[in-house]
Amino acid sequence: MIKIKDLEKYYATEDVKTIALNKLSFEVKEGEFVAVMGPSGCGKSTLLNILGLLDDPDGGSFLFNGTEVAGYNERKRANLRKHNLGFVFQSFNLIDELTVFENVELPLIYTGVKPAERKQRVEEVLEKMGIMHRRKHFPQQLSGGQQQRVAVARAVVNHPKLILADEPTGNLDSSNGNDVMDLLTELNSAGTTIIMVTHSEHDAKYSHRIIRMLDGQKVTENILSEFTH
Amino acid sequence: MLKNYFKIAFRNLWKQKGYSALNIFGLAIGIACASLIFLWVQDEVSFDDYFANKADLYKIKTFLADKNSINTYDATSGLLAANLSADIPGVENSARSSVISQKLFSINEKNLNAKGNYVDPAFLDMFELKFLKGSPSTAFNQLYSVILTQNLANRIFGSTDNVIGKSVKINTEKEYVVSGIIEDLPDNMSFEFEWLLPFKVYEQENNWLEYWASIGVNTYAELEPKTDITAINKTLYNYISTKHKGSIMKMSLYPMSRWRLYDTFENGKEITGRIKYVKLFSLIAWIILIIACINFMNLSTARSQKRAGEVGIRKVLGAGKNRLIFQFMSESIITALIATLLAVLLIYISLPFFNILVEKELLVNFFDPLHLSSLLSITLLCGVISGIFPAYYLSSFKPVKVLKGLKIKEGSARWVRKGLVVAQFSVSVILIISTILIYQQIQHIKDRNLGFDKEHLVYASVNGNIQKNFDPIKNELLQSGFVDNVSMSTNTPLDKGSSAANFSWQGKNPENQVMITYEGVTPDYLKTMGISVKTGRDFYANTDADSTNIIVNQAFADVVGNKNIVGSTIQWENEPLTVVGVVNDFVYNNLYEKSSPLVLYASASGNYLNIRFKRNTDLANALPALKNIMAQNNPSYPFEYKFADEQFEKSFKTETLIGELAGIFAALAILISCLGLFGLAAYTAEQRTKEIGVRKILGASVQGLTASLSLDFLKLVGLSCIISFPFAWWIMDDWLQNYAYRINIDWWVFAIAGLAAVLIALLSVSYQAIKAAIANPVKSLRTE
Repeated sequence: MIKIKDLEKYYATEDVKTIALNKLSFEVKEGEFVAVMGPSGCGKSTLLNILGLLDDPDGGSFLFNGTEVAGYNERKRANLRKHNLGFVFQSFNLIDELTVFENVELPLIYTGVKPAERKQRVEEVLEKMGIMHRRKHFPQQLSGGQQQRVAVARAVVNHPKLILADEPTGNLDSSNGNDVMDLLTELNSAGTTIIMVTHSEHDAKYSHRIIRMLDGQKVTENILSEFTH
Repeated sequence: MLKNYFKIAFRNLWKQKGYSALNIFGLAIGIACASLIFLWVQDEVSFDDYFANKADLYKIKTFLADKNSINTYDATSGLLAANLSADIPGVENSARSSVISQKLFSINEKNLNAKGNYVDPAFLDMFELKFLKGSPSTAFNQLYSVILTQNLANRIFGSTDNVIGKSVKINTEKEYVVSGIIEDLPDNMSFEFEWLLPFKVYEQENNWLEYWASIGVNTYAELEPKTDITAINKTLYNYISTKHKGSIMKMSLYPMSRWRLYDTFENGKEITGRIKYVKLFSLIAWIILIIACINFMNLSTARSQKRAGEVGIRKVLGAGKNRLIFQFMSESIITALIATLLAVLLIYISLPFFNILVEKELLVNFFDPLHLSSLLSITLLCGVISGIFPAYYLSSFKPVKVLKGLKIKEGSARWVRKGLVVAQFSVSVILIISTILIYQQIQHIKDRNLGFDKEHLVYASVNGNIQKNFDPIKNELLQSGFVDNVSMSTNTPLDKGSSAANFSWQGKNPENQVMITYEGVTPDYLKTMGISVKTGRDFYANTDADSTNIIVNQAFADVVGNKNIVGSTIQWENEPLTVVGVVNDFVYNNLYEKSSPLVLYASASGNYLNIRFKRNTDLANALPALKNIMAQNNPSYPFEYKFADEQFEKSFKTETLIGELAGIFAALAILISCLGLFGLAAYTAEQRTKEIGVRKILGASVQGLTASLSLDFLKLVGLSCIISFPFAWWIMDDWLQNYAYRINIDWWVFAIAGLAAVLIALLSVSYQAIKAAIANPVKSLRTE
């Protein structure tokens, strides 16, 4: 599903050039759950941004479902993003001015789903995440765990092929964290590909494979469980 | 989708109540102000639309060249109209009208004054007056007939029923039969008559109407539709000389569509007119709107950090840039809509005051498609103008950066914001300077030496028995102890209508037909007016002794160019007259210019009675005494008088209005700009909380911090002053060129305006600066 080869990304200020990704290459198969680990500044988030089509690589190739997407313009990226990708962030990134229901509904609006169907799909996913009773609340009125459930619900409501999770449990206590990891595992079992950036060895164990990075390069790969296509 | 935008817009507005209030209030003031101005503009541009055939209606303008320039008059010869239709093809109809005058209408014991004109029967057809009773074709069949407006008929008879055929006494002299009742005229039209009398009656009383050289009536022409007016104008130009050999009087058609807005001529050419005010005020309306929109732009981009996260998330979830632009634009349009609702309220509240100010009866009706669509267009435009930059700016954020919580580098937005603040204040400063200079100029003219004493001077129309009883009236007034002098004259102290080109003297260049104003005055006129004799003498107490003598003003003596004009002979038509005195110039007609040449001739009668009260007279006692004397000598007329000084004040109506409006606009522009500055200051203070906290911990003083926070804004206001001063000077210098008698622009006006802007800005900024500076640093650092 994803094939990156010799991916490069630099950050340049006036006199310092920082290499964030240094000829990084790997592949992720459809239905796989991959964890990306490494110390701060190793390029994990940069990688996730590029995979999420939020940022452009400076070199190398990025094939998404066999199509080269490095170099796509913003409109094309946005289009690809909204139909194929779901995001879960450490800091939830819910819109404070929208209710739980409206936050989850947003991706469906952007993909042009009709109101009646939107309602049905949002309620379905809220039910599944166990936050249906909170649908009229605003994010500030929820606990961290509940907010991340909403974020996950928002990430999956559009049935994305790939979920990108950036430290999804980073702001949660262990019990809430486990709940979220269980949710992601469940989604993965149902067929969604997941790439998760994490600091937590505990969380990484939920995945099939851990890619460890340092200084923008892949250093090791641990296969935790057999993934069969 | 839209619902979602609305929702988030309202929630955002609500969440940021303070900023929203600043935005909405500023925009509402701007929209209300602009709407009022546009109402006024609409009224001005729709002037005379009452006449369906407006496009075919013209009046005749007369041009006369003198030594220096060509003067333009509305007045024509009484002979013109009848000849026009006969001689010039394309002229379908033509008619004369006398200048508007006031007459007393009496029925039984009831007396009332009303204004009107003498007109030819063709006038009724040409202007398609709407007859409620009677008909235009028969209304003037009888010589002594009168047409009344509905309103006047009601005032005289209490009703319009069965009025036709009734008679009413006019000026206590003659009975006139009511032959027609017409619909009342709207306010925004060039005519303001309440009655019309047959021109034939006027002809009987004014034999000067038989001369081509005497001009004093208006002539109107209705052309056949789609007539080429260039051809007619060509014929008209030299028409008078074909009738009156040697006349250099020129004429041309002047279309009704231009009467109201363009009727200012210089050297025989239409130069401008009220249109300049229509344009000026429209411009100001747009400027005020834009100033209000700037607040919205600035506060939106200043607060962009807060919206950045939302932009990031929406982009991640698949929103394209256009969609976000659309979202932010709809937010600004919604804000503008709310502002418009508030503006409607403001319009309703302020309209009565605005009407008093502009002396109109403007009505606003939001069910009128024109008003409704204009208001909605203004709203939409405001929404778009205020929203477009923030929308582009906000929607261009990179999600990667904003989601990482990085501070956005504002770059362009900050400069745009500063530029816009400078623009707002520049306009405000220009308006302040203009206001001061306009007031100075008006005051300058009010304070000018008029050459006569306008204080304690009363005048009234000569009517009824005043002429007959002039001597007893004069004696009784003088004996009352309140009055110094009494006299009569053809014209009022400030307006001297008649002028003629048919004066000549030895050595006069025949090409140079100067228009000379002439006025008949009774003895003691100069004393009554307080006009001083420069050389020669005043008229004798016995009018007959001066029957071939005239007194001229200095301007006349200058035109003749004879230093010893006293004793010399001046020809008026063919009559030789001896100059017995020269008076110092005194101001009349155009109060902004030097006096024009004037001839005073001795007369035993006049149209106006002038009364000079003693300097220290208590008017509260004098006026009842005056009324009493008048009532005894002229019982059938109510005594209606005017104070010369009050009339003088009134003649500054346009200038005073412009001064007042400029003042109001300046105040509003400053207010709106300060609302914006207040918001920006609040935002800057909020943004710098951490910095301020750290500085305080390191030992910065409250004063120092307040100063540093305020200074950033004051620099911008300072820059505005530098930019606006030359503009203001240029604009006002240009305006002052309209007045021959004008002020010099003083530097201190600029200093005051600049200082005022800085002080007002300081006031709006310092509150936020002090608040931020005295905040407890521990608290501010903890919240970061």
